[in-house]
Amino acid sequence: MTTVGQLVLSGILIGGIYALMSIGLTLVFGVLRVVNFAHGEFLMVAMYGAWAATRLLGLNPYVAIVAVVPAMFLFGMLVHWLIVGPALAQPHLVVVVATMGLSILMQNVGLMLASADLLDVPPLLGGRSWTIGPFYAKPELVIGFAVAVVCTLGLRWMLQASYLGKAIRATVQDGEAAMLMGIAVPRIFLITFAAGSALVGLAACIMMPLFSVFPTVGLNFVLIAFVIVVLGGMGSIEGALLGGICIGVVQSMSSYYIAPAFGQMFFFILFLLVMIFRPSGLLGQKGTANLGINN
Amino acid sequence: MSMSVAAPRTVGRWRLMPARGTLSLFELVLLAAFVALVAVRLPQNLQDVVVLTFLWAGLALAWNLAGGYAGLISFGHAAFFGIGAYTSTILTAHLGVTPWIGLWIAGLLAAAAGAVVAMICARLRGPFFILSTLAAAEVVRIGALNWVTLTGGPEGLSILPTPSAANMVFASKTAYAVLMLVYLVVVYGVTKVVEGSRYGYYLLAVRDDEDAASAAGVNPLFMRTSAMALSAMLTGIGGTLFAQYFLYLDPTHVISPELSFQLALLPALGGLGTAIGPVLGSVVITPLSELLRSYLGHAAAGLHLAIYGGVLIAVMLHFPGGIAAALDRLATRWRKRAP
Repeated sequence: MTTVGQLVLSGILIGGIYALMSIGLTLVFGVLRVVNFAHGEFLMVAMYGAWAATRLLGLNPYVAIVAVVPAMFLFGMLVHWLIVGPALAQPHLVVVVATMGLSILMQNVGLMLASADLLDVPPLLGGRSWTIGPFYAKPELVIGFAVAVVCTLGLRWMLQASYLGKAIRATVQDGEAAMLMGIAVPRIFLITFAAGSALVGLAACIMMPLFSVFPTVGLNFVLIAFVIVVLGGMGSIEGALLGGICIGVVQSMSSYYIAPAFGQMFFFILFLLVMIFRPSGLLGQKGTANLGINN
Repeated sequence: MSMSVAAPRTVGRWRLMPARGTLSLFELVLLAAFVALVAVRLPQNLQDVVVLTFLWAGLALAWNLAGGYAGLISFGHAAFFGIGAYTSTILTAHLGVTPWIGLWIAGLLAAAAGAVVAMICARLRGPFFILSTLAAAEVVRIGALNWVTLTGGPEGLSILPTPSAANMVFASKTAYAVLMLVYLVVVYGVTKVVEGSRYGYYLLAVRDDEDAASAAGVNPLFMRTSAMALSAMLTGIGGTLFAQYFLYLDPTHVISPELSFQLALLPALGGLGTAIGPVLGSVVITPLSELLRSYLGHAAAGLHLAIYGGVLIAVMLHFPGGIAAALDRLATRWRKRAP
């Protein structure tokens, strides 16, 4: 029983980290209706940033947030201005191929600048775990989970209550009407994309004490992020948290009871099952999956 | 697609530029150039580039049948490629079946897998379809990685390198170039027949407006499933040819997401839903990336792919219709200027 409890706890905590990494992707999808295939490489760049701030400047990885998040916001603005914005007016495939080109470009520039070595930062508390009743938990995971929950609630509140949030929701519901009401829709897109990128920066700082960074680190995580975002319902912020927790638990249970290698297979199968039986995801709007967003 | 009302330029009874359903002078000249590339004695490394350009062009055309004509943007074609490569290799290794027969079985298995994927994802559109095909291919890849008794797992499978025409293993690269050119011409021929046929027009109708097509009596599920099966079959056969050329395969190389991306990027870059587009995509990109790799590979790891990524972004933003559309626009401008 303790084993099951421990597995569920670990799964939930790691799921929070996965969710944090996916929130930016789901936000961008929900508003711009595009999938950023370079999302994983954004994470890679931000993790290198967090690594540099920790190892070279001697900052605590959590303090690095104040530098990495604004930097990623600017980076997101730049990418939107150069690539995503111009591609929005084109058929859907253009933005897919362009962000994929960006992903290849960033991965290989990373390879040229940073070599393929794995870089990491020292764990908190010298790698000791916290004990919670009969269970153990890494402090980095507990902090990450808490940040994910705060981030989800904060973003939710921001979308509901603030002027910017209302403008974003109006844009999602009816872009043309929003524009007629004086909302600068292209600017909403720019801010949303940059905010999505900044959230990746936050996730990177939280993840740096837990995972190593290398130029192709994005690919592993982006596949998980895609699964989570679709599972939770594309564009749904709470859905990403729920989806992340589901994937975390499925992964930790299946790696313990079956085999680590099959753990990944399980969540891709889970993903396909959700696509077959509930294409709008757990908390997504019904019908999103078969809206004609491809043209 | 040019909107010009001027009559298409012809030389004798041949059209100059590629068009749906007929052969043009452009295509014949390109074919003649390909034949010349096979016939001329090139250095080994350039022959390698020629072989790969033909193979990738064929694969890009196969992807385009689903992605371009039927609108089924798949990021999971590596699964069909891998199924093709493994099927023929396993048949040879365990049952002694020659790849000349194995490639048909490979094609049929890949077609079945394609039909299953199309039916699973039948209701999904846009990014949902893309991501589902990616997930389906990951399931196949992880399966291949762990079914060690059949696939050799991560260590992969080798094919006996003794040259033997009966086993589709050749000593000369020229033989492989001929093989790949035949593959390219066959897939091109299938594409031309499809795009000129009633079936091809049905595919476009389903792609452009499913409701209208369905109201006019076209069955969208059948069209999507059959287009995906045909595309997967040709991709699977390409997988067999790839295995016979490299004589080694493992899940990381033949079923990776990167391979799926590559299979989709070439036709997107060349021009979706045209027969000539995927060929042009491969003719531009394959030599570019292969030559950059051999000349820059040692100087800076990753530089050739970084350039490749940059080219992808630039071309897609400036020519959303791909190289074929850019060429078409150029030809139209020239036609208007000519007396």
